[in-house]
Amino acid sequence: MTTEPTSNQAIRVANLRKRYGDVEALRGIDLSVEWGELYGFLGPNGAGKSTAIQILTTLILPTEGSAQVGGADVVRHPEMVRFRIGVALQDTGVDPLLTGRELLTIQGRLFGLRKQESRNRATELLNQFNLQEAADRRVKTYSGGMRRRLDLALALVHRPSILFLDEPTTGLDPVNRIALWDLLRQVNEETGTTIFMTTQYLEEADALCQRIAIMDRGKIVAEDTPTGLKRRLQRDVIELDPEHPEEAAHIAETLRTAGFDAVADKDLIRVFSANGAHSIGGVLQHLESKSVGIAGLRVTQPSLDDVFLQLTTASVNEG
Amino acid sequence: MTVVMNAIGPTYRRSFWRDLFVLTGRSIKVTWRLPFAVIPNLAISLFFLLVYQGGLSGISALPAFGGAHYLNFIVPVAVVSGAVGGAGGSGQALIRDLESRYFTKLRLTPASPTAFVLAPMIAGMLQLIVQTILILVVAAAMGLSVPTGFVGLLVVVLLAAGWGLAFAGYAVAIALRSGNSQTAQAATFVFFPLLFLSDTFVPLSLIGAAWLKVAARINPTTYVFGAMREVLMYGWKSRPILEGILAIVILSAITLGWAVFTARRTLRRK
Repeated sequence: MTTEPTSNQAIRVANLRKRYGDVEALRGIDLSVEWGELYGFLGPNGAGKSTAIQILTTLILPTEGSAQVGGADVVRHPEMVRFRIGVALQDTGVDPLLTGRELLTIQGRLFGLRKQESRNRATELLNQFNLQEAADRRVKTYSGGMRRRLDLALALVHRPSILFLDEPTTGLDPVNRIALWDLLRQVNEETGTTIFMTTQYLEEADALCQRIAIMDRGKIVAEDTPTGLKRRLQRDVIELDPEHPEEAAHIAETLRTAGFDAVADKDLIRVFSANGAHSIGGVLQHLESKSVGIAGLRVTQPSLDDVFLQLTTASVNEG
Repeated sequence: MTVVMNAIGPTYRRSFWRDLFVLTGRSIKVTWRLPFAVIPNLAISLFFLLVYQGGLSGISALPAFGGAHYLNFIVPVAVVSGAVGGAGGSGQALIRDLESRYFTKLRLTPASPTAFVLAPMIAGMLQLIVQTILILVVAAAMGLSVPTGFVGLLVVVLLAAGWGLAFAGYAVAIALRSGNSQTAQAATFVFFPLLFLSDTFVPLSLIGAAWLKVAARINPTTYVFGAMREVLMYGWKSRPILEGILAIVILSAITLGWAVFTARRTLRRK
């Protein structure tokens, strides 16, 4: 029989590093997640989010540093960690030849539930996740939204205290995405389950998470509440729609050379300024002198996207 | 073995046998739902039985057959062919799990990793045993009469299972090593030299080409055929039976050792 002391934090990570040959995927990250918290992990592709989540869920080993999940060390006690966590990763799948009910029952049994207990739990989750009608159909017939709900149900079979979700709504239509948000809130509020999730959607992190870490090139570049991150910017944003959207990157570059804090975001250009109303004249004057046509403009408050763009762009410029 | 891990939260009872039982049940269910992964292999074995018996049965009049029916001589070919195909299914099952990434989901449970690999092998063995029994039932319907009776037939089933186990080890190792169905499929071509570079259709003494005689002598399948033919054609002479068992034990040790080594390497966290 093995016992571990109760941990004050659900997740505690110190100086976590991962190297693949000469490539450093994680460059020393530190974070802690409180019990019951809904924590978002954001970053562009290749930022190291997947590497971090794979270490925390015991799939791979760190090169350096330490990580405790649910009070258990991910290197020394991977089985204890696995028992305490529920995981729905993009890198995992299900056997398409089994039914939703069968998969849930098998998952329950592998987590130590007795046969009847596992069957009851499967029925309970199928009802909770609105999968009753599809329960006895093979998973290969499920829609994308149903699969995501099943994946979430599978992660919760053994009532884990911590849930790891890797981009849980990527590829879902808005209706299914919002339905899944409701389910996640429900799980978090009703059972107190700690949720650690990665996402590409900043509005998702804004809507769901109590705290957010922004990762870029293997490091956490900011960590705060969504409001705190937005407040951190304390600036206005001038959004410009260029007449020729394909020139957005070039126009942003032109503005930066003139001393403006500008970034291109897809077809838009965002110019950050302490006072948007004051700066707008200078921006337009500069663009006119360069014969750049603008189709529209707005002065707005910063969104989480702006924070994200500012932080990741700053990190690239520093590098 | 049951270990209780009293961690934060509910109690987790770790049990290798429960994991193996649950995962084997699941593998059997999936095999049952993929009839076209089973039927062709069985059909080929029965085809061998019918065609070779129909086309070559006359040669059993030669003295080298010792007066036995050709059906008794050719049944082991159908049985071994079915066994190898059935065992190859274990590798295919693992490939399906690797490709669907269900294998990664299983790795995220606290269940025993050994059970993930053993379960499809056990399901493959059970499939093989059922197939062998079906082949023997068809052979009986064609007039197979065995001097060693029911026990002799049971020995044939056990030898088939043993031979299948050796091949399952090979199939699983290839599946884990390659992780893709094309490579695993290509690797099953070893089946042809194993089955046909042997005394497959006629006794060794009747093989004309010297090279084929040499190949047959070093091919372990020859000894498995020898053991099966002994009980199906003549009786309980121990030497051919022991040689067959020895061939199975040696080959199983090699392939299962390779499978265990590959599984450990694949499942080791990096």
